[in-house]
Amino acid sequence: MKISTRGRYGLRLLVDIAEHGESGPIALSVVAKRQNLSEKYLQQVALLLTRGGFLSSVKGSGGGYLLKQQSEEIKIYDVLDLLEGSITFEEEVEGESAIEQVIRLHFYRPLDEQVARAFEGLTLADVTQAAWFTYVI
Amino acid sequence: MKLSTKGRYSLQTLVFLATCTENCSIRKISEATGISSGYLEQLMIPLRHAGLVEADRGVLGGYRLAREGITCHDVLAASEGDFNPAPCKECAKTGKCKTHQIWSLMQNAVVDFSKEVTIEELADKLVDSGTGGGV
Repeated sequence: MKISTRGRYGLRLLVDIAEHGESGPIALSVVAKRQNLSEKYLQQVALLLTRGGFLSSVKGSGGGYLLKQQSEEIKIYDVLDLLEGSITFEEEVEGESAIEQVIRLHFYRPLDEQVARAFEGLTLADVTQAAWFTYVI
Repeated sequence: MKLSTKGRYSLQTLVFLATCTENCSIRKISEATGISSGYLEQLMIPLRHAGLVEADRGVLGGYRLAREGITCHDVLAASEGDFNPAPCKECAKTGKCKTHQIWSLMQNAVVDFSKEVTIEELADKLVDSGTGGGV
């Protein structure tokens, strides 16, 4: 199990825009340089985040991306869920065996609840503000 | 984000083994789990190396759990090779990267919880459900 490249890039893109986007849209080329990430790949991730309602794009010269909501309103859990396709372990398979069902109900499901609890209330603003570091660790 | 097939199948295999009172042949595990014999043989290699299952040869041969108290984390750590959901273990920026904190949060939640759930617990649930389990 691994968090995907899309998840990593997407989160760094959002954090970067949250930290630098106050005075206007941020071009992906700038983020690419600042974060040392591929601009091509950032374009794909930015598209996904725009469709998911976390970013909005501004066209034209001086264009780029802005947060669609206040960073206090963007829940990290929702962002990860979008970027990873789904952040949950539980999946119902057709024709599930008794063993699969037991593991699903008594391991994957409570595991998902545990992860959701860990992220409860955590917003993009918490991540960009250094305060978060002290209460997590 | 999903566990690999290897991880999922290994969990199923161990839960089934925990319901068996004697050695269990690959064929029997295969019938119970629907996992092919060839694949089961492969799954057993890292599980044996990690000291989670033992095997006897011969007529009464087969597999059994090597010890009590095996957790889901033990199984996944063995079968997934490196059960490490956070992607940035060796990243040089760890100290100052803000997203790293998020991955740590994720990692801790998953690892801590999977250390709490034992294979025996799941096997008991399976036996209680009256729908499966070995001898």
